[in-house]
Amino acid sequence: MGSDRPRLVISGQWHPPGSSRAEAARFTSADGVATAKGAEGGETLAEGAVSGLSVSNRVGRIPRRITFADGSVFETDDNDAIDRWLKAHRGWRVGFVHGLERFHPRLILLVAVVAVLCVGLYRYALPIAVEVAVAVTPPAAPRLMGQSALASLDQTVLAPSQLEGQRRQAITSDFRTLAELTPGGADAFDLQFRRGGVIGPNAFALPDGTIVLTDELVRLARDEDAVLGVLAHEIGHVVHKHSLRRLYRAAGITTLIMFIGGDIGSGMEEVLVQGAGLMTLSYSRDQESEADRYSVELMAKAGREPAGLARLFDVLRENYGDDDRNDFFSTHPTTPDRIEDIRRHAAEVGAR
Amino acid sequence: MNDASRVIPAGGNPQDRHTETFSFTGRAGEYFGIWIVNILLTIVTLGIYSAWAKVRRQRYFYGNTELAGRSFDYHARGLQILIGRIVVLVALIIYAVLPYIFAYANMFVIYTVANLILPFLLLAAMPWLIKRGLRFNARVTSYRNVRLDFHGGYWGAFVAYLIGPFLATLTLGILAPLASRWMWRYTLGNVSYGGRKVACEPQLKALYSQWWMPALLVLLGVAPLTVLGLGLFGWASSGLATVNENTVTTAVFLVFLALMAIYGFAGLFYRAGVRNVAFNAAVFDGRHEFASRLGRRRYTWIAISNFLATIFSLGFARPWAAVRMARYVASATAVTVSGSLDDYLNEVEQTGPAIGAEYMDMEGFDFGL
Repeated sequence: MGSDRPRLVISGQWHPPGSSRAEAARFTSADGVATAKGAEGGETLAEGAVSGLSVSNRVGRIPRRITFADGSVFETDDNDAIDRWLKAHRGWRVGFVHGLERFHPRLILLVAVVAVLCVGLYRYALPIAVEVAVAVTPPAAPRLMGQSALASLDQTVLAPSQLEGQRRQAITSDFRTLAELTPGGADAFDLQFRRGGVIGPNAFALPDGTIVLTDELVRLARDEDAVLGVLAHEIGHVVHKHSLRRLYRAAGITTLIMFIGGDIGSGMEEVLVQGAGLMTLSYSRDQESEADRYSVELMAKAGREPAGLARLFDVLRENYGDDDRNDFFSTHPTTPDRIEDIRRHAAEVGAR
Repeated sequence: MNDASRVIPAGGNPQDRHTETFSFTGRAGEYFGIWIVNILLTIVTLGIYSAWAKVRRQRYFYGNTELAGRSFDYHARGLQILIGRIVVLVALIIYAVLPYIFAYANMFVIYTVANLILPFLLLAAMPWLIKRGLRFNARVTSYRNVRLDFHGGYWGAFVAYLIGPFLATLTLGILAPLASRWMWRYTLGNVSYGGRKVACEPQLKALYSQWWMPALLVLLGVAPLTVLGLGLFGWASSGLATVNENTVTTAVFLVFLALMAIYGFAGLFYRAGVRNVAFNAAVFDGRHEFASRLGRRRYTWIAISNFLATIFSLGFARPWAAVRMARYVASATAVTVSGSLDDYLNEVEQTGPAIGAEYMDMEGFDFGL
């Protein structure tokens, strides 16, 4: 400490406290006391114990600031001299972060590590995080989401069902026999009848196990197996917790882009967000085919027509054809591919 | 003091006036290291380091932006930014979850009311958050040991950030120059340095002279593309289409991309022109005049080639792109000084609450100028 190696002099500029007045100055330090002196006159501008100084961190080659206890500031471009002085007088190392940042072949390694981490985050950490989030979600949360979603739908698009009581009872009891065969049992689900209005023939599942079936769909379907096929499909969504997964995944991707991105530019950020949106579309298409397969298997297990769902899609195509604009981007596209997949899977299940 | 007061005010003897140009001295290779370490440590610390990453990034860009041989500095601290971000995050979560809780508790009346009111509350809070953000950014910025300050109020932000964009959208961009005028008057015209204010009064006529070209571009590009897109969509859903659905989806997507490209192109053109007008109409302390001479084509070219380079390098060209843009923008910005800048600046003292008060500030919403 006390032993001063070759006397250190750093030249720079000095500002009085809170003033933009600048004076050419020299910074020296001896025996634990730092001094800023005028470059020409050599008069003492500021003085203080080294331990009472605050020195700004090194970032690239930007000027360093040394702030004295009285608020006056010595500023210099001589980063290396400051680092040497810090090391000698305060036993500090050059900042760890700056050491990493320096332009050096080691950066290639860092690039590789970042690339691997990014791919790993998206491929493995994101799905795992989604699974963990699904697992730790208290049952109250899906109930909360389901109930409030149904409440707001009831206030806006849906109306009370006008289906005959008998028909409703028949469907409900068939639905319960289907639901009986799931791990959660019949009580994990709640079938609700509504008039669809603008959403027309439709059925959808809420995360709490509530499944909404519209009168329009029931009227459109020629037989019970078609309706049950749709209900089995919605049960599949609930059993696989699809809506919760989609929600967590979207939140996870947004967080990744926001936090990891940092400085990637607004244009690139936009591209990533749009790209993530497209990926979500294919993700939900995967969920649809998973629910389709579940429907086939559940129907077969219940001794019903396994391809009941395909039958409904046939009717939908006949009635609405390709001229239904809603079908184009809807989440339940009744494409020939999809019908074919259902039939193929039904044949496989039947052959077993 | 004597020197400064002897100076002839703006418009006086041209011999006393000279131009100081901004410059950016950062290097792509150097920033690359900072950038990649920022990302690495952010991932490794599960996002917590992002606050410190921001400080290092800002310090690098501010510290390399020079005027008259001296650079700017950025003084925010990582912890301060982290706390601000946590506060905003918690507030957003509460905002998102609150209606569900009302619905769950069977308070459907409150639920409905909350659903109606909350978006407006958020909208009403926006100008306040923006104002705080701008003030924070100004107060953590210094030049020659004196901090900037920002004096904009709530209603100024309300007009500049809510009314302006709303009017511009409602009139399909025809009133965009009016919105730009409000925006620049608010963001630049409320800045002060050592108690001396910047005045910024961009004239509508000058703004409209920068407007008609990009407007024409949009008109010529967007109209046919929209017809094409709608036509494709109609054809695809008419049942006449014999091609498979993916082909049509791709076509519609391509039309969408082209639309975005035209809007982006026109937007860059307009932004550069408006920045020139705003800076050329800005005066510091009634005597030093700002100037901006961005070439609209050059600026657009740099922005677009930066964007493409970033995409095709999977993001790794971003440091080069950021440094390239900063260098161009700084080189096109200047201050026409009356009298000796050094003598003038030697008189500038820190005033007001700028220093210290910043610790009570929140980062708020971060908008780059």
